[in-house]
Amino acid sequence: MTEQTRKGFHAEIDEISDLIVQLAARAGDAVARATDALLSYDLVEAQQIIDDDDYIDVAAIEVEERCQSLLALQQPMAGDLRQILAAMWITGELERTGGLACNICKGARRMFRTELPPRLRGLIAEMNEEAIRLIRLSVDSYSEHDAALASALHDIDDRLDSLHRTFVKTLLESSRTHDLDVQPSMQLALIARYYERIGDHAVNISDRVRYMVSGVMPWRAGLARHRVRDEPSMHELAADPAEMSSNSDDKAD
Amino acid sequence: MTTLIIGVLLVMGGAVASIAIERVRLRRWLRGIAVSPHGRDPASQEAPGRRSSVRHAVEDAHRRAGIAEAAKVSAETAERRISSSLDALQSGLVLCDRSGQVVARNTAATMLLQARHGEALVAGVIKDLLERARTGERVTTNVDLHAEPRRSYEVTAGPVERDGEMLGAVALVRDTTEHHRIESVRRDFVANVSHELKTPIGALSLLADSLAADSDPEVAAHLSGRMQIEIQRVANTIDDLLTLAMLEDESGRPDAPVEVGAVVAAAVDRISETADQNDIKVIFSNRAGVAPIRGSRLHLESAVFNLLDNAVKFSEPGGRVDVVVEADQRALSVSVTDEGIGIPATEQSRIFERFYRVDRARSRSTGGTGLGLSIVRHVALNHGGDVSVTSREGLGAKFTVTLPLGNGD
Repeated sequence: MTEQTRKGFHAEIDEISDLIVQLAARAGDAVARATDALLSYDLVEAQQIIDDDDYIDVAAIEVEERCQSLLALQQPMAGDLRQILAAMWITGELERTGGLACNICKGARRMFRTELPPRLRGLIAEMNEEAIRLIRLSVDSYSEHDAALASALHDIDDRLDSLHRTFVKTLLESSRTHDLDVQPSMQLALIARYYERIGDHAVNISDRVRYMVSGVMPWRAGLARHRVRDEPSMHELAADPAEMSSNSDDKAD
Repeated sequence: MTTLIIGVLLVMGGAVASIAIERVRLRRWLRGIAVSPHGRDPASQEAPGRRSSVRHAVEDAHRRAGIAEAAKVSAETAERRISSSLDALQSGLVLCDRSGQVVARNTAATMLLQARHGEALVAGVIKDLLERARTGERVTTNVDLHAEPRRSYEVTAGPVERDGEMLGAVALVRDTTEHHRIESVRRDFVANVSHELKTPIGALSLLADSLAADSDPEVAAHLSGRMQIEIQRVANTIDDLLTLAMLEDESGRPDAPVEVGAVVAAAVDRISETADQNDIKVIFSNRAGVAPIRGSRLHLESAVFNLLDNAVKFSEPGGRVDVVVEADQRALSVSVTDEGIGIPATEQSRIFERFYRVDRARSRSTGGTGLGLSIVRHVALNHGGDVSVTSREGLGAKFTVTLPLGNGD
């Protein structure tokens, strides 16, 4: 900490930003490794990935603590403040991404000895690529303070969502044609969901980037919708509960 | 220090340009080293006895300034030379002083240190290892990046010392991707070739034993039938190995005019029986018209047949294989597309290696030699072309052989 106080405030912010880029690289690598372990039925590697997740947690805690001490010691304002807040939030999203990579590994463990039908393997590989692409784009938007790219991530994520739907559909067909048991089928459905969630976390990161750059909170759209529904009458609110589900709600997980 | 850097230079080869040395820091650092053992620079060692008058003193000062200037110029030249030499390296080099401040890094290292995504992990490792090297430790770590494009790096760091004094630390980063690939090709080749040759021999030996022990003519007929199959398998492998050896050895370029459309039609004809047996449709369309190239008809036909054979083997009954010949101004391409099980992305770069199998268990039942795709690649290369694959597991694969038009003219 003594070293920190001597350093320039902005140098410290830059270092935090570097740490986040590294954290994202680690989380992205964990996802790719988890996919490899899943597709090559490698339980030793799966366990190693779960163990290595501790590094992600440690790095995430370090970022958080440095952000906290900056907030406490420097009392930043405006853009600086937003940058530190965004860093703290983004760290949380990346930590979760690492956690989801672990979940994929645990899923691989639970369905060990099940040979996956080729089409499902292909779709898993595709979801993996798409999820990693989203993580990379979100980090690009963060490093370059690119709000336009950040806003585009919502749409880019559609592809992963549609892959997820295709996967579930194919899984239902495969469970008949390839004689998949209930247990591996369930695990596969969950695993597909993990990839989809990784994409959502990337989108959350991009929301935080938009806030960091512009000061606008995109996730407040849900709040606005809630007010519109809430104020005119209670009947309208009850009429369409599906509208409530948006990316912003997902943060609860 | 200069000797250390030159030593490092000699150890490695490389290419590329432009510098990112922290000039002032490096200069200060280099000077620190030059001064430390003797304590004084040469200009200050001028004989004091000459300073008898003011005139002399002024001359002396001028001369000293001149020497200092010359020293400065030559130091700058040396520095620039060191910088450009370091930048010429493909490996990354990072130098830090005693306090951990980076004093120099070459272009390759700068790119890694500023990287996002996967390579950011390498940057983290460089920083960690430099920290440890400053405590006198000599450390090496391998970093594997798993997201596409997959890469491997080796980071080595060690302390920079002179006369027992710690001056800083140096880290060297090597891209070992290609090295690892070649290493695994070599290792797998030895394992696979012995597997392919030993398995049928082992089976033959067992069958022969049983045959010797059994006098029942019915059993003997069955066993000798099995032996025939195993013998055929070894014979196929040896044939393919000889074909490969011939393709590799060929010093004279294939040079007869070949009509590729006719070659592909012949190969399609040869596979049609097997395809029919497995209820697989092979559909051939020639969009190139009559476009002769120069080459070897026999080799080209065997290459196309190998692709068709694979496509049929790895298709489900009821499937379909599309064979298309196309041409543009510069090249002609033959593509074979199936709707079979496909090839995992991680294996796609390796399937053209000799004896490489994606799935060993399955390969024995499909009965290939493991050399088919190596032959295809060699034929394509011999004709100045290449072969590529695109595939997604569960959606089939598409192999494309590209042959330049008008080669050999």
